[in-house]
Amino acid sequence: MTELLKKLMFTPSVSGREDKIREVIRKEIEPYATEITVDRMGNLIARKKGNGKKIMFCAHMDEIGFFVTHISSNGDIKVSPVGGINAISAAYSEVISEKGVGGIIVPSTKDAPKCEDLYIDIGAKTKKQAEKKVEIGDFFVCAPKFKRLLNNRYIGRPFDDRVGCLALIEAIKSVSSENDLYFVFSVQEEVGGRGAKPATFGIEPEIGIALDVTAVGEKGGPNDMDVLIGKGCTVKIKDPSTICNPALVKEMRAIADKEGIKYQNEMLPFGGTDASPMQIAGKGVRVGVISIPSAHIHSSCEMIDINDLKEAVKLTIALASKL
Amino acid sequence: MKEILKRLSLAFGPSGCEDAVKEAIKKEIDAFLPKAKDVTEDQMGNLIIHIGGNGPKLMISAHMDEVGFMVTGITKGGALKFGTVGGIDPLCLGAKRVVSESGVKGAIKAKPIHLLSKEERGQAPKIKNLLIDIGANSKKEAEALTFVGDYFTFDSDYIEYGEGLIKCKALDDRLGCAIMCQLIKDIYENNIVPCYDLYFAFTTREEIGYSGAYGASMRVRPEYAVIIESKAVADIEGVSEDKEVCRLGDGVIISFADRGTIYDRDFVRHIKSLADKNEIKNQTNRYISGGNDSMHIQKNAEGAKVSTLSCASRYIHSQSDVIHVDDFYATYKTVLEIIKSEAPVKE
Repeated sequence: MTELLKKLMFTPSVSGREDKIREVIRKEIEPYATEITVDRMGNLIARKKGNGKKIMFCAHMDEIGFFVTHISSNGDIKVSPVGGINAISAAYSEVISEKGVGGIIVPSTKDAPKCEDLYIDIGAKTKKQAEKKVEIGDFFVCAPKFKRLLNNRYIGRPFDDRVGCLALIEAIKSVSSENDLYFVFSVQEEVGGRGAKPATFGIEPEIGIALDVTAVGEKGGPNDMDVLIGKGCTVKIKDPSTICNPALVKEMRAIADKEGIKYQNEMLPFGGTDASPMQIAGKGVRVGVISIPSAHIHSSCEMIDINDLKEAVKLTIALASKL
Repeated sequence: MKEILKRLSLAFGPSGCEDAVKEAIKKEIDAFLPKAKDVTEDQMGNLIIHIGGNGPKLMISAHMDEVGFMVTGITKGGALKFGTVGGIDPLCLGAKRVVSESGVKGAIKAKPIHLLSKEERGQAPKIKNLLIDIGANSKKEAEALTFVGDYFTFDSDYIEYGEGLIKCKALDDRLGCAIMCQLIKDIYENNIVPCYDLYFAFTTREEIGYSGAYGASMRVRPEYAVIIESKAVADIEGVSEDKEVCRLGDGVIISFADRGTIYDRDFVRHIKSLADKNEIKNQTNRYISGGNDSMHIQKNAEGAKVSTLSCASRYIHSQSDVIHVDDFYATYKTVLEIIKSEAPVKE
């Protein structure tokens, strides 16, 4: 499982530029799906046909990063953030472009930087030199990382939301169910859940379950939350973008309890997931969310407990067959 | 085409009040409307013209509305309190001429510089402190000419100046409407068979975000969409190169992303290659800002592959939008090439 996760994490794909990760996932799931389609916005949709309930699972393929907007006369690369970049964390991070060009993010101020203060140094001495390697519209991401620490904890990026993608892939491979299952690997979640809306509209599911990371009450960290790393996956109750369907939340917990799956109840005080556009797409959908707790979300080094991810996989499979 | 632009730009049409613009558009294309497969005016006031053709569904859209003002109250002295319709910088407002839907002329009140206190000088006024002066001396006099809820827009002239510059109010987005009118003429006068099942949508309410394009795209459900727009740029002295966005006269802007939309990369590349092949001057945005109808069209219904083509506009959302005529023609030519060329083939 960790090998596949690493492979997903080492395929950089910012919002709107998901082609590479889509191909990696497509290859992985091809033998197991009844049909696979890519819709107009680029969502990858795998169906495991059944006669039961139409259930849609959704995890996003995209990650946060930067678009190149300008190349200065001295060869500096000006960028614009894609998704919720934390400028303080991004400063001095190693980055890599879609074409494999390496660089470092440098803030143009000594104070706490904002995103507009960030530029990328690829080592170019002149504009001309930089233009051979980089063009306007290219993307950069903070360099992928994947490393094991103590207690099954892993640091790296982007766990958000390759862990959700991994859970869906594992479920497609092993689930057997009467239900009519749709597994959606969505685009452009990080810029406001743009991809999941048309995917949901096309599928018209009865139930929609998003899989994503959630923030945690870190040791000495800034978030006041009950969710912790290493205590299992979560069943979300609400975040500012979505109030999960209460009956569905109850059902999810009951199934988790019955299957002996470790989970936590999640109330997230900020952020949102694809559950938000799913809920109000088409004629509306009953939605729930399974989250994988992650510390230092959207930083250049996130952290998860691999056992929490395993619980999320189990819950996904259980819901696919028992909802 | 400049004549169409002039006529449409001078028409009155703040968001939610686009009828006069729609009538002006219909007048421009009057002779061709009976030839269209279908002409619809929907519940949101959009004018949707189905042309047809061979290929996937393509919707080309431009918005009819402009920024403006709405009367929110009348003072005892007969001055009008107002709110803005769409995004307007208060700095653009003092002592500007305005006109109401029924043609009542006025000016936005501003103290002359001679009478400003030291503190007041150099300060941007707040909209809530500004008033429209329509020459009335009492509430009663004013009420004979206007009412709470009445619309005003900038009262501006169409002027060509400098080397190819055009100045008027509402070039955002009458330039898109004018281009679409010209394209409809071209199609029927030159018997062009589009390589798409083509729709034109003249949309409402873009400037206030509650986009009429939402309804239009839900009706049409296009696979591809091209939005013709005007794009705010700051190619003026004192702005660093990385923040000027684009430059007037450097050609049609083929955006790769803005604040509302990341454009479909394959479609954008297709359009860029068409422009290059036909030697149409083009540029891309060098700063990410703004948003337009494409944010709704892209993710509406089953989604669409979207691209925005724009003309750079200086002093946008003021009485003096300024564009370059070469960019206007470059945008027109690019859209025409899209219509005449096969849709991009994927994989």
